[in-house]
Amino acid sequence: MKILIVDDFSTMRRIVKNLLRDLGFTNTQEADDGQTALPMLQAGDFDFLVTDWNMPGMQGIDLLKNVRSDPNLKDLPVLMVTAEAKREQIVEAAQAGVNGYIVKPFTAGTLKEKIDKIFERIEGS
Amino acid sequence: MDTQDKLMADVTLDQARHLIKCLESGKVEEAREAIDGLSQIREASLFCEVGKLTRQLHEALSNFQLDNKLTGLAAQDIPDAQERLNYVIETTENAANKTMDSVEKCLPISENIKSTADELLNDWGKLYRRELKPGEFRKLAGRVETFLTSVSSDSSQLNGLLTEVMVAQDYQDLTGQVIRRVITLVQDVEENLVHLIKMFGSTEEYQKAQKQDVKHEGAEGPVIDKTREDVLTSQDDVDDLLSSLGF
Repeated sequence: MKILIVDDFSTMRRIVKNLLRDLGFTNTQEADDGQTALPMLQAGDFDFLVTDWNMPGMQGIDLLKNVRSDPNLKDLPVLMVTAEAKREQIVEAAQAGVNGYIVKPFTAGTLKEKIDKIFERIEGS
Repeated sequence: MDTQDKLMADVTLDQARHLIKCLESGKVEEAREAIDGLSQIREASLFCEVGKLTRQLHEALSNFQLDNKLTGLAAQDIPDAQERLNYVIETTENAANKTMDSVEKCLPISENIKSTADELLNDWGKLYRRELKPGEFRKLAGRVETFLTSVSSDSSQLNGLLTEVMVAQDYQDLTGQVIRRVITLVQDVEENLVHLIKMFGSTEEYQKAQKQDVKHEGAEGPVIDKTREDVLTSQDDVDDLLSSLGF
């Protein structure tokens, strides 16, 4: 399982990376915004994307939309981990095809729960 | 009534009495002069009012310049505040990294203690169940001794690392002080701006703007205003919203 973590704050990337490792996902890479992340996704064989929303360059929501409109990436599971919590933003992310949405600050338990749920659903479908 | 006004009233009253006297005694020419005198007084008091207003305006302007810290704020305090806030970002980032460095060093130590302890416990059980072969007890005893020695030194190492984590939290005090100063600056700027609006703008519009709902668009980071109704406050609320959308 190869996972890309996208966040403009290196400390947050590090936290997510450590939590993922704790859950048994050791193969992770990092990008600091959507613009850097998109070519990595297009070039690499990533199985899962964890992204922040509010980033300079390309924001997480636009990265999600780009992923969904790319024929090679459209089925990539995407988990949003963000401080953005406006009702209309969550609706927008849902409409854009996000697979999970976590609001910061979050706990290790929440991350595990959402990831489990995403994979359960993928395996079930 | 100030002394100047009282003086003027007295003079006017005198003039008026004089006018009546003139009219009663039929001194038309003198009466006409008295009327001229009265209208002069009126003009004089008008000039006096204009003078007062001019003085007030002048005072207001020079007062404003006296209180006016805007130049200083723009030239010194605001650039200084930017530096201070950058310092907060750097300091909190360093603290987070220092903490994670230490935690990442702690994790393999505690994982190792756990796995060795699990193995020993397993073999210890064999001892109780008399499943150990004759030579194995000596080996197990040796492993227990090595483990106890390593736990002792591992614990000191963990203590050291945990102390580092604790000390790394000193950023809270440092950044707290810096942020408090920036808050004072923001209050200062607000006061000066309000003053400026009172002098040159419309207080009414300012009060209207205070009550206006601001439209929030796009990404804005964590929302602190708990009264806002367009923002969800917990993961549970987010989950509820998503499940209502069919998630």
